[in-house]
Amino acid sequence: MRKTSKFSVYLAHICKYVFMIFFVCIAVGPLLWAFLSSFKTYSEINSSALSWPSSFNLENYKAAFKYAPIAKYFLNSVIIVGCSVLVTVALVAMCAYIISRFDFKLKVVIVLLISASLMLPAQAISQPLFAIFQKLGIFDTKIGLIIVYSAMGIPMSFFVMTSYYKTIPMALEESAYIDGASFLQTFLRIILPLAKPGLVTIALLQFINTWNEFYFALMLTSGNSARTVPIALNYYMGTFANNYSALFAAVVLTVLPTIILFIILQRQVMESLTAGAVKG
Amino acid sequence: MKRKIARGLLAAGAAGLLAAGLSMYAAAEESGKVVLDVINYHVGTDYAAEYYSYLFDEFQKTEEGKNVEFNFEEIPTTDAFNQKIKLLISSGDLPDIVFNGGNNITELAAKSGKVADLTPYFDADPEWKAQFDETSLEFNTVEGKIYGVPVSKEISYIYYNKELFEQAGIEAPEVAFASWDEFFEVCDKLKEAGITPVGMDSADSGWLTNLWMSALIGTSGDAGNEWMNSMYPTDFETPEVIAAAETIQKMFQQYTTPDAVGAKYDPMATHFFNGEVAMFPNGPWMIPDFSETEKAPEGFADKVGVMLMPCSGMEMVPTPGDMVGATEEDKIEAAVTFLKFETSLENQIIALEMTGLQPVSNGLEIPAELTENDPLMAEVLEIQDKAELTYGQNQAYWYQNTIDTFSTELPELAYGNITPEEFCAKLSESAAKNE
Amino acid sequence: MRTKNRGIWIALFTIPCMILFAIVYAAPIVTVVYTSLCDYSLTSGPVFRGIKNFVTIFNDEDFLYSIRNTLVWVVLQSTFHVLLGLLMALVLRRKPRGWSVVRTAYMIPNIIPTAATGVMFTLLLNPSFGIVQPFLDFLGVDYGMVPNLFGNSRYAFWTVTCTWIFYSGFNTIIFLAEMGAIDKEIYEAATVDGAKPWQLDRYITLPLMKNIFGTCVTLASVAMVSQFDIIYMTTKGGPGHSTLNLPIYLYKAATLENNFGKANAVGVVQIVIGLILVLLIQRLFSEKKETGRVRQ
Repeated sequence: MRKTSKFSVYLAHICKYVFMIFFVCIAVGPLLWAFLSSFKTYSEINSSALSWPSSFNLENYKAAFKYAPIAKYFLNSVIIVGCSVLVTVALVAMCAYIISRFDFKLKVVIVLLISASLMLPAQAISQPLFAIFQKLGIFDTKIGLIIVYSAMGIPMSFFVMTSYYKTIPMALEESAYIDGASFLQTFLRIILPLAKPGLVTIALLQFINTWNEFYFALMLTSGNSARTVPIALNYYMGTFANNYSALFAAVVLTVLPTIILFIILQRQVMESLTAGAVKG
Repeated sequence: MKRKIARGLLAAGAAGLLAAGLSMYAAAEESGKVVLDVINYHVGTDYAAEYYSYLFDEFQKTEEGKNVEFNFEEIPTTDAFNQKIKLLISSGDLPDIVFNGGNNITELAAKSGKVADLTPYFDADPEWKAQFDETSLEFNTVEGKIYGVPVSKEISYIYYNKELFEQAGIEAPEVAFASWDEFFEVCDKLKEAGITPVGMDSADSGWLTNLWMSALIGTSGDAGNEWMNSMYPTDFETPEVIAAAETIQKMFQQYTTPDAVGAKYDPMATHFFNGEVAMFPNGPWMIPDFSETEKAPEGFADKVGVMLMPCSGMEMVPTPGDMVGATEEDKIEAAVTFLKFETSLENQIIALEMTGLQPVSNGLEIPAELTENDPLMAEVLEIQDKAELTYGQNQAYWYQNTIDTFSTELPELAYGNITPEEFCAKLSESAAKNE
Repeated sequence: MRTKNRGIWIALFTIPCMILFAIVYAAPIVTVVYTSLCDYSLTSGPVFRGIKNFVTIFNDEDFLYSIRNTLVWVVLQSTFHVLLGLLMALVLRRKPRGWSVVRTAYMIPNIIPTAATGVMFTLLLNPSFGIVQPFLDFLGVDYGMVPNLFGNSRYAFWTVTCTWIFYSGFNTIIFLAEMGAIDKEIYEAATVDGAKPWQLDRYITLPLMKNIFGTCVTLASVAMVSQFDIIYMTTKGGPGHSTLNLPIYLYKAATLENNFGKANAVGVVQIVIGLILVLLIQRLFSEKKETGRVRQ
């Protein structure tokens, strides 16, 4: 085999880093821009996109707190999204496992239903849901939103997870059964640990998908006890009176803790990645 | 005998029940305050947020209001508010007091039967009824019944930058340019002096452009004026509308900033604050912004003058009024009492002071200190009486989806991708979808 | 698979998921399908009218445009966008310097609320004071007039596309998890045999990604069939019909025309298109012999 020339190795390296740096820039750029904009005045924000803010005072951050109950809503978001992540992951871990491993009569129906619901328009869901939730007494509660978000997360997590389970060789379970392990034991002790990276991934995805949900959060609540961050942001967008600076201040305030949470979760992914390497 | 006793017992029982019922009712009256559900969109950065929070507090201090307790739901932005109200109209109950966020909500709510007919309450209080003129009540009437209590009037005209006019050597008219030709001559002069003549936009609902276009139609003669004063127009292919669309196309191409197409209101307002455009159409609620240093440079307020649209035209529409969604008698009573308080002459003045909302009642005595403290507002109050032609604007009169078509097709018109005729045809087509 | 009490376990593991699902989706699926066949507006209840609504929408030019735009976005998203995520995962897989920073950073756009993203892009791309002019100056491009990226229907579609197509962190994470599950020994053995780095990816990693690639393509297309927020925040489907897609069209029918019957007919079309896509993609990526499944 020809030896790869030094030049092409360097070139590949450079390309790789240019690629990485470019995407970090377009990904972090908007957030940095929002950060800078959170110090600008109304006039600065609406007349120049690239200028430096004239001063770095915290007025807009004060305004962010003044106009909207942002801390409260942030806490609600954390609780609601957190619980919905747990519920979705738990349910999908079980359901997707069955679908990926067994053939049974209703399987096609289940898969079709789940696929169809991916496309159901929110407007269409909101009316029946509104009525059902009022009857069940979970309108304007965190539980109500947790239920909706968990259900909303099912289709997507389901697809990712079925495909992940398929990468786990079946021989593992077969031998466990031969050794006399029960179904539940096999699932809990052998499959789940191996599926951990997949589970963490769907947790992340579910988190991302529900964190910014606005429509149901608005339609299925009526008070401050169950409202979430995306609604808080609307407080800065009044008729003829947008306050984009406060909006960006609020974005910075709510996105930063989220990123930290994210880093922790991702570290978790990495640990589990090194734990099990089974594909092949 | 037995039967008699039985009957007697029954009667006593019934009486007892009745008494119990009555005393329960009395107990509720005594302990109880009437609790009114309200969904309020005047929150956050809304221009009237402060005023409404004042109004609710003040009401509870009055004799009639001290027994009323409010249960608020806050929904920031009218867009989100209207979505929620529509959901409630289709599958729930409306709040006891229904604020009106426009969007033809009055008619929809009335047709759903979920708001109270307020005609008897108006009839029972002639003094209150007399506060409103015919047009304002008419605007809130559906099939002969009044459903909404109008709380203000909306007017708009032109703000101009005196300094820029001076620079271009133009003398601003006392009241208005006599004709649109004169107006465009001035625009040309401003352009020669390197000044962008007018502010326009197209996003959201194309508010500024809508004001120009309404003026063009509303001042183009009797037919146009009548058209611009009619509710839910469906035929947009009239000579007046097409001519106005043509002028709008010209204005986009020659007389406004390059970012007007596709633009939202705020950056366009900022162009005016920064002295980058000479004329800007809008209403009195913008006045406080001129002296807010966050938005406009120090001293900007002194540079602003007001004039009516050419031919002494002024946009003026009654506002869609607040409604009552309560179903129980005592709650309806309490809600109406609040609406009376909201429209009391005193509070109309306070609203004017705090938000620039124009009083719905005509000929109110404006306190001298208000006009002294706010000379521009004084000018506005004065100049509106000089309007010779008044007309509506699309947000008040057009179908909701037609306003949207207006907003999304404006850029196409501006870039010449469609002709004014095609533009108007699209509006007609859109309005027809509501049949 | 053989196991004791198979039926019971199947039931126990799927039923909780299905119950939750039923609470939220059962009634809506039925109502959407039924009312799509009705005259149904904000103020008047559903009255059966057959396929009237479908006739209406398929005769509407705007509706056909919205299908076209939706499909173009599906194609772009399921190819370019997913491949970008895959490429990033392949780069990060080898853990080059700073890889974990890149991985986290690349996810950030996904957690910024759409409302803010919309405002951000409209301000950044404003032709008068945004970044377009400085950027063109930097490139030395000679322009007559600064392009109005959101306002001009010539650019609007691509501008809106650019607000999401590069942000593929979602897929990168999925691919990375899947790549992490590959046995390191295979790579080691191949390297000993003298395989070059790109050959490792070409002959080992990529073939093993087929299944999950199918999943990512499915998710990407489905996301495009129901893409709404950012379009609503920036162009609302305009100028003209240049960025109109099915969900925006549906939204307009429901909230602006108050025509729920028509809106739900659009919803049914949306569901059908989505299902066809899901089935097509699954067929495309299904392996002849599925690795995981053993006959019972």
